[in-house]
Amino acid sequence: MLIQSILIIAFGGAFLTYILGKASSALRDFLAVLISVSLTVLIFLAYGKTGEIAFASFMNLPLVLRINHLSWFFAIAIQTVTTLSVIFSLSYMKGKERVDFYYLMMLLCNSAMLGIVLSGDFVSFYIFWEIMSWSAFLLISYNRGGALYAGMKYIVMSIIGSMCMLIGIMSLYSTYGTLNIREIHDLISTASGEYLLFISILFLAAFGVKSALWPIHVWLPPAHSEAPSPFSAVLSSILIKMGIYGFVLILYVISGAALYLGLGGGSFRYILTLLAAITIIIPTFNALMQDDAKRLLAWSSIAQIGYIILGISIGTSLGLIGGLFHFFNHVAFKALLFLAVGAIEYRTGTRDLNSLGGLIKKMPVTFIAVLAGTFGLIGIPLTNGFVSKWLIYKTLILNNHPFLAFAALVGTWGTILYSYKLIHNIFLGQLPENLEHTKPAPASMKLPFIILSVVIVLFGILPGIPLKLINLITASLGFDLLNINIWGIASESGPLNIINIFAAFAVALIVVWFFFLISGKKVVISQDNSYAAGIDVPKGKYHYTVDFYNPMFRMIKPYFRDYMDEFYSQLVKALASLSDRVRRLYCGDLGVYVIYIVLFLSILVISKIGLNLW
Amino acid sequence: MVTVMKILEIIVSPLVALIVGIFFLGLFRKMMARIQWRYGPPLIQPVIDLVRLFNQRGFSHGAVFDLGIILSLAGALVLVLFIPIGGMCPLANSGGLLVILYVMLFAPIGIALSGGEGANPNISIGISRKLILTLSYEVPFIFIILSLMSYYQTISIVEIVKAQAHYHWSLFSPLFLSGVAYFMILPAMLGIRPFDMASAPQEISSGIDVEYGGKYLAFSQIEHALSLFIVIALFVNLFLGGGNLPVFLLKMLAVFVCGVFIHASFPRFRIEQATKYLWFWPTIISFISLIVIQLIR
Amino acid sequence: MDRNQIKKWLESPGKMGHKYSLWAVYFCTGCGIIEIPPVITSRWDAERFGVLPAPSPRQANLFLITGYVSVKTLKAIIKTYEQMPEPKYTVGFGSCPINGGMYWDSYNTIKHLDKYIPIDGWIAGCMPRPEAIFIAVTHLWTLIDKGMAKGYVKYRENYGRYRENQEKALGKLEWPRLFPIKDENE
Repeated sequence: MLIQSILIIAFGGAFLTYILGKASSALRDFLAVLISVSLTVLIFLAYGKTGEIAFASFMNLPLVLRINHLSWFFAIAIQTVTTLSVIFSLSYMKGKERVDFYYLMMLLCNSAMLGIVLSGDFVSFYIFWEIMSWSAFLLISYNRGGALYAGMKYIVMSIIGSMCMLIGIMSLYSTYGTLNIREIHDLISTASGEYLLFISILFLAAFGVKSALWPIHVWLPPAHSEAPSPFSAVLSSILIKMGIYGFVLILYVISGAALYLGLGGGSFRYILTLLAAITIIIPTFNALMQDDAKRLLAWSSIAQIGYIILGISIGTSLGLIGGLFHFFNHVAFKALLFLAVGAIEYRTGTRDLNSLGGLIKKMPVTFIAVLAGTFGLIGIPLTNGFVSKWLIYKTLILNNHPFLAFAALVGTWGTILYSYKLIHNIFLGQLPENLEHTKPAPASMKLPFIILSVVIVLFGILPGIPLKLINLITASLGFDLLNINIWGIASESGPLNIINIFAAFAVALIVVWFFFLISGKKVVISQDNSYAAGIDVPKGKYHYTVDFYNPMFRMIKPYFRDYMDEFYSQLVKALASLSDRVRRLYCGDLGVYVIYIVLFLSILVISKIGLNLW
Repeated sequence: MVTVMKILEIIVSPLVALIVGIFFLGLFRKMMARIQWRYGPPLIQPVIDLVRLFNQRGFSHGAVFDLGIILSLAGALVLVLFIPIGGMCPLANSGGLLVILYVMLFAPIGIALSGGEGANPNISIGISRKLILTLSYEVPFIFIILSLMSYYQTISIVEIVKAQAHYHWSLFSPLFLSGVAYFMILPAMLGIRPFDMASAPQEISSGIDVEYGGKYLAFSQIEHALSLFIVIALFVNLFLGGGNLPVFLLKMLAVFVCGVFIHASFPRFRIEQATKYLWFWPTIISFISLIVIQLIR
Repeated sequence: MDRNQIKKWLESPGKMGHKYSLWAVYFCTGCGIIEIPPVITSRWDAERFGVLPAPSPRQANLFLITGYVSVKTLKAIIKTYEQMPEPKYTVGFGSCPINGGMYWDSYNTIKHLDKYIPIDGWIAGCMPRPEAIFIAVTHLWTLIDKGMAKGYVKYRENYGRYRENQEKALGKLEWPRLFPIKDENE
């Protein structure tokens, strides 16, 4: 009953918001926030519940909703981010056009994602999946212009993925006669290896497109950067994670770990981990070369997805825990970073990293948010990203995958470079003259910043809270239950212990800080008062954060182009020219059409007489 | 008793690192002077400099300026606790090489954040160079660490040292190529010539340190001394077999003296030349080494 | 040289530290700078006294102005001096900073540098030999020892007067005042 009421409120609320928006904008804003908050509360109340309920039927197939730990884990992440994005939108979308439509699509997308994680059969899964894809498309192309192109790219790839999934679903139905996920799981152990491989590849194409796995990632950078910022946060932190949910669903819920590891003689897992490693390396270096803040974050999203898939696809309990925890952490810090960049764009009117700088004193709360977000992204101890990346490295090294571990570690160093570029070019360095009167972010934007920063630090210091739940999830997927306490994993295999590192860090920070306080005085001076051979650094004439890593770009630029994007562009061009040739058959001349008809008939006659085909 | 010993070790090992690091800074200046046919400063000159710096009023550009330098020094101190110093390793059982690989991030990040608030062109250039250089040497370094881990089948650095005491140094084992690669990237990790472009005093006014004065510069110097210690200690532990405290320090001294000679005889690379070098020979050698280790295991 | 007397180090570490760790900004204003390379390289090796060329004034505590000071360079000198952390010592090198030297009637040269920033000591001569720098350094040691090298305190106390002189020579200065100025009429 609770699940149904969640979905009814979600869908009903979305349309109600739209209708109300025609009457009053203040009421609409209030309703949007109210619905999101009440949904958060409802989902929170559903913690620990498990159950399945059939709510309708479609061509004699029962449509089933179900909730378990895995669904709850994804649902709470979805709803929290949407709620914060809606709160952020209050000031961000003020004064823009088609705001009713924006809220409708935002809430519709949210409801569809809730539907995906709560659905217990593949028909409703597919329906919700399509609602999500289309509402996301409409929001990505909200800004028109370049956004329309980005949206088209997204929806074309998304449709190809969905078609693959549809074929998979139909094949499953014709084989087993049911589409209930639980029943399929019970039946699939009898399937042959080849059939399982076929199904897995079909589904992974769909989920790979959505979660932007390396060769099919090209829709993501333009879509993320062109969408309105609050929706970019939703897009990057949860919408692409629906692909991750799909991965977990198909690899562990349906196949189960044992079947998955044996798939194709183990080569399936091998290729998947390899793709994940490539997904870490190439997008990381691509992110280094971006000058648009949101584009940089978009590439970074792909790279982090690589970590998550690497953790999930390695197929050990620790790896799965690490992957799922990294999913959760990525939700927190990527939503935070996109929202923060949105706030910067809202206040300064630009997100071009080359024309920003020195905003630290003007927007301190936003700076702290970005600092927390990037620290999580890099994985500094005492933030949540550390724990999850740690688990992923650990499982890679303990299971002896040195080359995958290499990809993950080099990815981390690349992450440092691009996240430092993000911080430096926006907040540190020199303040351009035209940004001298920048105001701090409004209160409705600060609230999501504070909440998400607290989440990052809290789950970094006490990782046991989410790990306990994730442990239950992995246990329900057939792995051993690990011993988890509030500080992390207590009985870890091997001499790896997070608590000591935390303690050492906290103590060292306090000692150094104390030493810093007692040793010598300091004079606080303004940011601009810096040594430049006895003269003032001319403001507004120089901007020395432009091309921050230029010496390196010169070297890597030829190698780190987006080859896949170029390949797809060529493909599209070839397809267009082929279609153009086909179109030329219809030249509009009646005589030519008569000739076509005569030719066709004569071919029929000749084949009938000469070959005697039928 | 064990706990007391452990606490004692936690206090003593950073002190040892600090003393040895600062001694190395002094020795560095003295040796450079002698190589250049000068008399040179006294050995304790870095200590005199530190005393002077702590008695000067440094300038601060804001909260992050302070915070960053604290973070980087704390990172270096934590790192010392994970490295065995002649049989003394207080946090040996909590992570080993993996933690070392990870905690090595903090010194550059802290310094970069701190310098970033100082709105100075030289700092921006210095940070950019430092981060690029770090990414460059980290690629062969990760290969080296991974081949060590898979050769000895452990991630604990203490175990690696023990294994070398039983058999022979890693440098004279199938890990020979890794050792060579480590030695090739050692100058870049130490930040000495030909890889001192990030803190080139003549070119970009010492880069990241430009805005540091008073205690800030003192903290930066201490961090530099500690990182000198850490990089050389890692090399000695991983490839030269560690040993008890005097032997360990002697080995460190030998490696350090080699470093000084390299510093004295090379001019400075440009940053892209450095990246090209580091991503070519050391990377290839360490990669081959990793493959060899995978094959013979 | 009392560098090795531990008692003195314990009594006044600040003074001793400043004495034996003079990091210098060699401000190259004129021909005097030609005497500096022999001083810091192997011929005379200033580093044995702890004198080192500092890459930036933030790190330095000795300010050496070598050669004549034109009006345009005066601005840079003042800015550099104000960017040095306290305590800091200044030494004028050569006759030009003292009284204008051979540019005594130039329209474009500052005659008395100590009107604009406080100077702790002078090295007279045109040109002084490199050895003179060492004599200056040892004199500076004595001054630091006796607590007489207080130019930076003088600058802080009489900042109003100095700023007035600076603005008389340079017109309006674009940077804000370093210290609050006491109104002397009250």
